[in-house]
Parts: sequence; structure tokens; C-alpha cells
Amino acid sequence: MARRPRKLRVRRLLWGSALGVFVIAVAAIAVYVYFLDRSVTQQFQGRRWTLPAQVYAAPLELYAGAPLGMADLSAELARLQYRATDKLDRPGTYRRQDARIDIALRATRFADEVRGAQVLTIIVGAHSIEALRDSSGADIPILRLDPLLIGSIFPTHGEDRIVVTPAEVPALLPAALKAVEDRKFDSHHGVDPEAVVRALWVDLRSRQIAQGGSTLTQQLVKSYFLNSRQTMGRKVREALMAFALEAHFTKSDLMNAYINEIYLGQDGDRAVHGFGLASQFYFGKPLAEVDLAELSLLVALVRGPSYYDPRHHPERALARRNLVLKLMADLKVISPEDAAAATSRPLGVTTRAAGAYYPSYLDFVRRTLRRDYPESDLTQEGLKIYTSLEPRAQDEAEQTLDRELARLERTRSPTSVSLDGAVVITSPASGDVIAIVGGRRIGYSGFNRALDAARPMGSVVKPFVYLTALESHRYNLASIVQDAPVDIRMSNGTHWRPVNFTRQTYGPVPLVRALAESMNQATVAVGMDVGVTHVAQTLQRFGLERAPAQVPALLLGAVNATPLEVAQLYTGLANGGYRMPLRAVRAVISASGAPLKAFPLELTPIAQPDVVFEVDQMMQQVIERGTGRPARAVLPADVVVVGKSGTTSDLRDSWFAGFSGSHLAVVWVGYDDNRPTGFTGAAAALAIWSRVLAGLGATSWSASMPESLTEVGIDYFTGLQIEGACANANTIRIGVPPSTQLAKKPGCIAAAAPSVLDRLRAIIRQ
Amino acid sequence: MNTGTVRIVIVFLAVMLSACRSLVSPERPPNPPAEAPAPQSPAAAPPPPAAPAPTRQFRLGSAASALVTQARARAAAGDYPAATATLERALRIEPENPLAWIELGHVQLAAGNAAQADNMAHKALGLAAGDPDAQAAAWRLIAESLRVRGRNPEASQASAHAEALVPH
Repeated sequence: MARRPRKLRVRRLLWGSALGVFVIAVAAIAVYVYFLDRSVTQQFQGRRWTLPAQVYAAPLELYAGAPLGMADLSAELARLQYRATDKLDRPGTYRRQDARIDIALRATRFADEVRGAQVLTIIVGAHSIEALRDSSGADIPILRLDPLLIGSIFPTHGEDRIVVTPAEVPALLPAALKAVEDRKFDSHHGVDPEAVVRALWVDLRSRQIAQGGSTLTQQLVKSYFLNSRQTMGRKVREALMAFALEAHFTKSDLMNAYINEIYLGQDGDRAVHGFGLASQFYFGKPLAEVDLAELSLLVALVRGPSYYDPRHHPERALARRNLVLKLMADLKVISPEDAAAATSRPLGVTTRAAGAYYPSYLDFVRRTLRRDYPESDLTQEGLKIYTSLEPRAQDEAEQTLDRELARLERTRSPTSVSLDGAVVITSPASGDVIAIVGGRRIGYSGFNRALDAARPMGSVVKPFVYLTALESHRYNLASIVQDAPVDIRMSNGTHWRPVNFTRQTYGPVPLVRALAESMNQATVAVGMDVGVTHVAQTLQRFGLERAPAQVPALLLGAVNATPLEVAQLYTGLANGGYRMPLRAVRAVISASGAPLKAFPLELTPIAQPDVVFEVDQMMQQVIERGTGRPARAVLPADVVVVGKSGTTSDLRDSWFAGFSGSHLAVVWVGYDDNRPTGFTGAAAALAIWSRVLAGLGATSWSASMPESLTEVGIDYFTGLQIEGACANANTIRIGVPPSTQLAKKPGCIAAAAPSVLDRLRAIIRQ
Repeated sequence: MNTGTVRIVIVFLAVMLSACRSLVSPERPPNPPAEAPAPQSPAAAPPPPAAPAPTRQFRLGSAASALVTQARARAAAGDYPAATATLERALRIEPENPLAWIELGHVQLAAGNAAQADNMAHKALGLAAGDPDAQAAAWRLIAESLRVRGRNPEASQASAHAEALVPH
């Protein structure tokens, strides 16, 4: 009797707890689903893709008189991936007829304004633009081409993408995706049971989870919410989440999210996400402009961006692309004729990843911005960064450096390490950094020699020694200095006895020749006379950030500087004594177009313009008669450039720094392990420097003589004043303070009215 | 635990979502560009007879002129950063033209940066050798930049320089 109820009680208890467990389980699952749903929805609704900052090059300015020929324009349009067509049917195309070029410009955003799509006509002369007209034939005074997208600042091992709106997506893309990946996309609720069963069957038979069967929604969930591990539980979760998404969002929302989310390629650390970036990455143009064949290739990549990588496995990519085309034709998304035409097309991917990618320059951009923005803002907020990079100058510098280094290496016995170098090019009047080459391996974003290779300056420091001397008002360009053996007793009792590179001693020489021929002994004599301390102060005034050690060897360049720092120092010399910070970034705007930060041009007076002018005239003689003379064989005879070579002990570093009217360039050549190169500054760096300037069509350095100076003729070798009929091939014209009394060459009485002559020269020089 | 539950959960949540429809943040609207108005000839009065013999006279080319006009409009609207950016474009085209530097200096002055205005005027002065008009314009800018900083005696001196070059 007592047994029965107990049994009953036990059974009841069992049933009860089973029910309880069931209820709890159902409740738990409901809660799980509830929270899953809520989290999926919230995450997806409030989501913004982390948008890496996009970095743009300087747009090319077009105006009547701009020094651009047809070749320059064609090259720029090619960089921007404008296509030549017969009819200007859409933005991103152009038509060339003889000297006339019509361009259907894309709508584009600049740092300071938005420009709509429009048609532009350019009449091109032999070396410059003759006229610029709009579609009604009216003259346009000035107009910018699109700024070239040169890269983005993405997190390490992070996603990079360009988000597109539905309006920017070709109508065919969603249709193609549906045809290839998910035919029932328009009708299913996130999961396609038929496809799942089919996939399961294959999976079971092969005893592994391999088959897709995923809808676009599931793929989106997988990419957006989940990691890539393939487990059964994860599959269920994926299906639930897909279901939740479908319940909350429209098909077109999901399609657009898919187009922006999906992974489509890899570029080193950079993961290419979304069709917007993929289009740039593979074809160098906006998604809206891809044709049927290109679009099909992008769709083909969804299945396996590395397996079907068109740059590494073109055959696979081509086969898969053609399969996509066939599927589309089968489903009547496209006509068989279009499919056949597209099938016969080549893959058409650009050779260089992402069209343009300048790691050395981007490195500088990133460092500049890190001062003002946390890394997360740069990699997530979709900032647009407008820089001063001139792709033409950058390409020229990269190619010249590589070509010349290869040529130089051929003149030496082979070594295990390769000769390397760096180039920095700026626009001297504005301080814009227009090109940075951090080494020979252009695509390699490793050691950036332009920014990080701090090497002894050698003789490129000398202009600052002479500038300090001129500032003392005890020297002028014709002042006689002694190039004689130097023996300086150091504080530790040792002796410093620098000699000239040529191992010769020149005796009394005018100041201008001492610099032009880079005489070490004369420079030390001048520097010791004006004081090492003052020379060090001059360098800091011109922008050297670290205080140099104040030792006599400073006078010969025993101070480390990077190519970028040397460019900063020389900017003051190129600018009549004004320092301006070198700028890579002009402006930063937010994803919505609000201006966030500008880096305006700023001037700081650091030296008297007349003193700087005198130094520049000395550096002109470096090129005409001194160590820089080989440049004359490369540059056009009428183009005046100024500069200074630098070579450090045992030929470890080869430098050349200088400028024309339009460009300032610094070149360094050496080995990373600091072994001797066997080249002087004039042999290696100058060869690159002069070819870069020539290639860029540099204009003359043509600063007008300050009114506080008077022009006189002197003999380059003796410094004696020479005027009129006595002038000969060794006569150079220099500016001196008006009170200067120069020794005159015997028998050559100074002409009565040199000032008239000077005026005339001044007029002609303009 | 199935579609039913999910549906209920979804219906519940569906109420919450309502507003946020757009999934993708729209890019910028395609506004028509504000192109530069017609060029305006810059101040280029004939050289006065009394001034030192001018050896040249600076003018801005039509591209830079158009940009200067645009910059003036932007500065007048109080948008100094945009005005500055526009003038920097002009300077890139004519870096040796003192008139471009003087324009930039005026924008700096209007933006409250008198020291930069002064520097730019001096930079222009260095470029303006031989052109009394341009030199006078630079001195007038120097005078203004000194005056706003309360340095009146120096400002008067600078004005006198300008007056000596180009008497009014």
C-alpha cells in the first residue's frame, strides 16, 4: 500500500521534472532565439562597416597654358581608368580626335567641393593645354580632373572596402548573384531547404561539411556575424540568423549589404571586401563602370577569391567567369549573344593591384595623421584624406631610382645585398610633398628609407655653413678663403685633419668656388671662423629637429638626417628664407563630407632673403662648374637648377639635394648595412636626381635678385671683379651687398654703368 | 522552438525597428559643382610716373584669376579654410607671383592670423622686385597686419612705404 503511491509519486516526480526540464529547455531556447534575433537585428541595423580612410592623390589641374601634352593627359586618364570610346556614353569615358580630347567626367568629391558629372573638351598643343571648354563651348578658366584613389588606411590584417549605394551598383550585379549563388533569393525566407537537403546529402556522403547550399542571406550572416569554422551548431545558428534577418529587412537591403560585405580578394595584409573595392582592386575603376565580362569575373570570385584569383590563376578565373556567363544566359538574365561576346573577352584585370598603391607615401600620410587622429578613426570612420601626391612624379621617381640603381650595380662586382636608395620630391613654393620613394621594392611596405634612414648628411650640410658665414656679414661670394691643411686639436687631445675628396689643396679660393667644388678644408676654415655653434643653430632654424652635436666634424656633415629631413632643410633655401612645414596631407573630410581638418600653408621667416639668394647662387655654380656638373648633360641647357652633392666617409652614403623652380628633390643612395657603396654623391645620387628633374620637365630656378644686392661679374677662380669686355668663360655673375668693395682684375676697369646692364639682365631674366 | 517562436519574437521586435530602414549610409548627394565665376582682372593700374622705374608688372593668369575670384567669394562668406584652399591652388600654378601671396595674406588676415599675413606679405615683397604696384600692395598688407596687432607706428611706416611706391 505504501509502495504504490510511492511508485506513483516517483512517476509523477519523474514526469514532473521531465516536463520541467522540457519547459525550461523550451524557455531557454526561446530566450536564446530571442536574444539571437535581437542581437542580429540590432547589430545589423545599427551597423556601419568599419570604413578605412580613403586616401587621394592631388588632382591634376587643367587650364589654358598648363604644361601638359597629350601624352600627359592620356597617362593621367589611364591612371584614372577612363576608357577611350567613340561615343561619350557615360562618365568615365573619353574620345580623342587629333589635338582635341572630350572627357565625360565622373562626379567627384574634392576636399573643398563636389563636382557633378560633366563633359569637358580640351584642346591640346605640343607641350601645353591651349583651351578648355564645357559642353556648350564656353571657355572654362580652370578645372580639376578626379583625384586618384591611392589607397586606404586599413587596420593591420584588416578589412578594406569601398561602400557602394544601390544607385552605384550596376543592375546586372544582383541578377548575376542570384543566378549563380541563390536562384530562389527573391522568394525564400533566408534558408533554401531544397539546397540544404542537397548539400547535406553531399556532405553526408563525403562525411565532411563542404557543400555550399547557402543562400545569399546565409553567406551574408556567415561573413558578417560568424567566424569561418564549419560546425553543425554553427550551421544551425547561421540559419536562424538568416531567418531573423529576412524577417526584418527587405530583400534589396540584404542584397546591398551582401554586395558591400562579401570577401573578394587579398592584397598582403589587406582583405578586399565588397564589390566596390573589388572593382577598384581588379579593374581600377568604379563598380558602376564595369562591363558584363568584368562583372561576371567579380561574381565568379565569390566562390573562392584565392582559388580563382585572376592575377595568379587566370585559367581558373577565366573558366569560372565563363561559367557565370553561361548560367546567366541559361536563366535568360542576359542574351546568348551578349554572353558569347563577353566570353570572348580577356579577363582585363590591371597588372598592379588596386591600380595605384604607394606604400611609402601612405606611410608618411599615416604618420602625419597619427598626430591628430587615433588609429581607430583612421581605419574605421570612412574619412577622406586629400594629399599632395602627384602620381606622375611618384612614378617617375620610382622608375628612375630602380633603373639607375640597376645601372650602377652593373658597374660594380655583384654583392649579396642590393644597393638601395630613397627619393623625396616636393613643390618648393608650397611645401607639398609630391613623391616619396622609400626604396627599390616599390610594392613592399617595409623599411621606408625616405623617412627612417637617418644617415650622415655629408657635404649636403655645407650650404648651411656658408649661409651662416654670409649672415655674419664678414663674407660674400667673392671673399677669398684658404683651402689649406686643417689640424684641429680636439678636447680629448686627438687631432682632426680632414682632407679634400680629391686629396688636393687649392690654396686661396673665392667662397663660391669652395662650395661649388665641395672643398672640405676651406669649409672647415670658414665654419670654424663663424663658429660651429652658429652653424648648428642655422640647421635647427631651417628645421632640423634634433640638436646636432657641436663638433667641428658637423661642418662636414657629421649629423644624421633622413632624406625627408634634408628636404625640409632645403625648403628654406628654395623659398627665400622662409620655412614651411612639408605637407603630405592637405585636408581631411568626414564620410559625410564635412571638413575636419586642413593643413594650410604656413611661413616662418628663418633667414634674410638676400643671404639665401647668395647661397642659391653658389649652389647654381655647383651644377655649372662644381661637383654637380654631370647634371648638365642630362638637363636641358636652358634650365637653371641648384643643388649640392654629399658623400660620406668611405663612400657609404651618396646624396644629392637641390631644386629647380618647380621641384625640390633629395636623393640618397646606400646600403642598408652601411657598407661602402663605391659611389660619390655626384656619381650615384646626382644621376638619379638630374634624371628625375629632367623627366618631370622641371622649370628654371629663377628667383629675382633681392633689391638689397647688386649684381657683379667675378672670376670664378680668383674672385676678382670683371666687367664688360674683360668677361670670359670663367666669369660668373653674382649678387653682393652694394657696399662691397671687390678687388678688380688688373687692366679691367669696371664699366661706368654696370647698374644699367644689371637692370637689363634683370629684365631679360624674367 | 521553431518558426513559431521565432515569428513571435520577430513580431515583437518588428515593432521596435520601424524607423531605421536605410541600411547603407548614403554617399554624398551629387550636387552641381560651384565652378569658378568668370575671371576678373586683378588690380593692375598703369604704373605711376613718379615711382621708381618699374621693370615689370605682375598679373595673374586667367586660371589663377578665376581662383582668386572664387576665393574672394568664399572669404566674403566667411569660409576661410575653403578660401585658403582655393588660393593655394592659385599659388601652385603661379608660385612666383607676389599677387597670389598677397591674396593669401589677406585671407589670413581676415581669418585672424595677422602674423601669417605679415609673413606672406614679406614673401610677396621678396618676389615683387621691380614691380612698384605689387610692392605697394604688399606694404599695404603689412600695414594692415601691423595695425590689427596694435603696432600703429610701424603700420604708418609701412603705409608710407606703400605711398612712396605708388602715390595715391
